[in-house]
Amino acid sequence: MKEEIIVSNLNAYFGSVQALKDINISINEKMVTAIIGPSGCGKSTFIRCINRLHEVVPHARVSGTILLDGKDIYSPDVDPMDIRRKVGMVFQKPNPFPALSIYDNVAAGLQLNGITKRDHLDDIVEKTLKMAALWDEVKDKLNSSGISLSGGQQQRLCIARALAVKPEVILFDEPASALDPISTGKIEELILDLKTNYTIVIVTHNMQQAARISDYTGFFFLGELVEFDETSNIFTNPKDKKTEDYVTGRFG
Amino acid sequence: MKIKFVDTGFKKATTLIALIVVALTLLLVYNMATNAIPSIQKLGARFLFTSTWDPVKEDFGALPFIYGTIVSSFLALLIAVPVSLGIAVYLAELAPQFIRQPLSFLVELLAAIPSVVYGLWGIFGLAPFLRSTIQPFLSRYLGFLPIFKGEFYGVSMFTAGIILSFMIIPTISSVSREVFLAVPFTQREAALALGATSWEKIRLAVLGYSRSGVLGAIILGLGRALGETMAVTMVIGNRPEISASLFAPSYTMASVIANEFTEATSNMYLSALIEIGLVLFFVTLLVNITARVLVWKVTNKVEGGIRE
Amino acid sequence: MNFYKKRKIVNRLMCSLAFLCAFLTLVPLLSIFGYVVSKGITSINLDFFIHLPKPVGESGGGMGNAIVGTLILIGLSCIWAIPVGICGGVYLSEFGNNKLGTIVRFTADVLNGVPSIVIGIFAYTLFVVPMKSFSAISGGFALGIIMIPTIMRTTEEMLILVPRTIREAALALGISQFRTTISIVLKTALPGIMTGILLAIARIAGETAPLLFTALGNRFWQRGLTQPIAALPLQIFAYAISPFDDWHRQAWAGALVLIVMVFLMSFISRFVIARRYKFLRSS
Repeated sequence: MKEEIIVSNLNAYFGSVQALKDINISINEKMVTAIIGPSGCGKSTFIRCINRLHEVVPHARVSGTILLDGKDIYSPDVDPMDIRRKVGMVFQKPNPFPALSIYDNVAAGLQLNGITKRDHLDDIVEKTLKMAALWDEVKDKLNSSGISLSGGQQQRLCIARALAVKPEVILFDEPASALDPISTGKIEELILDLKTNYTIVIVTHNMQQAARISDYTGFFFLGELVEFDETSNIFTNPKDKKTEDYVTGRFG
Repeated sequence: MKIKFVDTGFKKATTLIALIVVALTLLLVYNMATNAIPSIQKLGARFLFTSTWDPVKEDFGALPFIYGTIVSSFLALLIAVPVSLGIAVYLAELAPQFIRQPLSFLVELLAAIPSVVYGLWGIFGLAPFLRSTIQPFLSRYLGFLPIFKGEFYGVSMFTAGIILSFMIIPTISSVSREVFLAVPFTQREAALALGATSWEKIRLAVLGYSRSGVLGAIILGLGRALGETMAVTMVIGNRPEISASLFAPSYTMASVIANEFTEATSNMYLSALIEIGLVLFFVTLLVNITARVLVWKVTNKVEGGIRE
Repeated sequence: MNFYKKRKIVNRLMCSLAFLCAFLTLVPLLSIFGYVVSKGITSINLDFFIHLPKPVGESGGGMGNAIVGTLILIGLSCIWAIPVGICGGVYLSEFGNNKLGTIVRFTADVLNGVPSIVIGIFAYTLFVVPMKSFSAISGGFALGIIMIPTIMRTTEEMLILVPRTIREAALALGISQFRTTISIVLKTALPGIMTGILLAIARIAGETAPLLFTALGNRFWQRGLTQPIAALPLQIFAYAISPFDDWHRQAWAGALVLIVMVFLMSFISRFVIARRYKFLRSS
């Protein structure tokens, strides 16, 4: 098993408020790692540090190192653009580009990278939409707007959009929190499928979800990583009292 | 009981006054229409499609004025739209925080300058400058184009278009900026997460999302340009001719009203001028309604693009 | 990698273009300022403020009557436009959540977009034709119509910002809605409404087009409100298009006075707005 992302001494701030305190964690390749914890504990901030999206918020800053394939993504010679292409992200609420068609939403990232040949694009768009289990539902209306889809379909479109640029890692920030149970089920299935090819980090406030789909789980509390272990251990045999209280539903 | 009596009276009184505003607007349309009737009856549709303007024979065709209004306004848009979008993008997306407030205040000051002062500056500042620097340059390198042919005296369609563009830049840029600020942050993050550069983020997430709002802002600017009177009257040259060259003097609907209204001795002449005003009213009305609807649609859109 | 570089360059280019647009706009602003101040300041002296225009050929004289005329016109329009605007705004915020309110709001927006020259024609048909004379009253009417939509919509917006709890507290004491609105809600929103009024005055102070065939202009001191009246913008216009250098100088001086007036009002209203928002944020 290979460690794909190694985080050491990561601190993150919003202005003078410290959102993450000294996080150390290693994330394994081609596994699903879930990040759980009560709201405001820094779990979203944590994954936004992995694709350098934390720093786009005004007054936000980061210290520490995150190694991706052995290279520090925060070293000064690294371009955040490169990191974000390698580390895809799916957001809490579906956010397709409303002005673009379904096809163009998927192709958006490819076009940025200079892939403009129609045949080639067609090919990737079809493959990606199939991977996102959306192809059958949209193949006849690729040219209609992305927001004509249902919420669950929109979220799968966003997953396809992230997949199209061939990332190594995909971050999911509570991807199902705005969706109904059936759509949520589809997204979870999809995540399990994707793990054969991608390293996945998912933030969730839903412990059953974490238990269902993840191999490893990290529990964050007040900006600190309280415990990180195989998912089965976290849920059946937690070492820390706070983790136990949280997974048994005593707070949060 | 007494409270209730006072309150009903209060409600009735304010309602009545609010209705006065509606009544005044209706009266405006009615008064203009009735005063334009002689001209409408005598000239019919010919009024809009012919170019004779002969107060002595009482034969009136408003085509040169309509042409001048349209061309000067579109010329203004041609210059103002890219510049305004640049300003709005800079103010909403790129400028350091401490610069945004003062800079947008300065741009808005441009809107506070009275039209007649623009005109004064146009006559003595802008027109001579265009004549000595810009026009020779354009004639030399682009003179083969019919729009840049001919003599240039300073006052012209070209000058009017430029001055109009300065006057509508504040409108277009401030509305666009607001529309940009209404774009949900997750849209920008979605673009960034795909590895977009700042500009690609703006193009993909901001401009894409706010297309119809920006269109609204542009049309709002157009509405202002169409009705602008003084500055244009002072620099356009006031000659009722349709010429292909932008360097030639021209005339607009608002300008002809401004210049000739007090000289209109016959009823027919006055009626023709009022009919021009009526046309101008309906055109700006249509333009403004379109703009409002477009801007309103964007600034009230549900965040993130979920349809509910 | 080559394509990657191209993207970087395009990014740089577009961001610099946006920056350039923002700062290029300051060029006409500074140019207008420069012209008005440098050309206007040399012709401004006490005479300019207290004397009548001299006939062609004689140098000197001033725009005293035009300055007074503009103040009279502003007063005339405020007298009717402020009450109508505020009452209309009160109606919209307190009772306007219905179809009629939508119609009134829509009409105000329409009125706001009507070219000022068209408003001039309206005032002409309504006042000048029946009175058979150009007059100060017709000018004040035209300018008032231009003010109303601004005052109405700012009043509405400011009243809506007044927290519900303040209204409810007053109503709970058994005070009538009338008293509540007048002495509590309106009073709380007053700075904001003042801003709207100042902005409206700043706008009409420089209006020329609607005065061309209502107020008309006048080269003497004002005799009465049913007579034609001078106004600063009208005088600037007349002098600007005249062929005489002396009159051009006076036009610049007039423009300087006008622009100082207008900018002062914009600055004050800005200042009031800033204070107002601070208040609302803290409450």
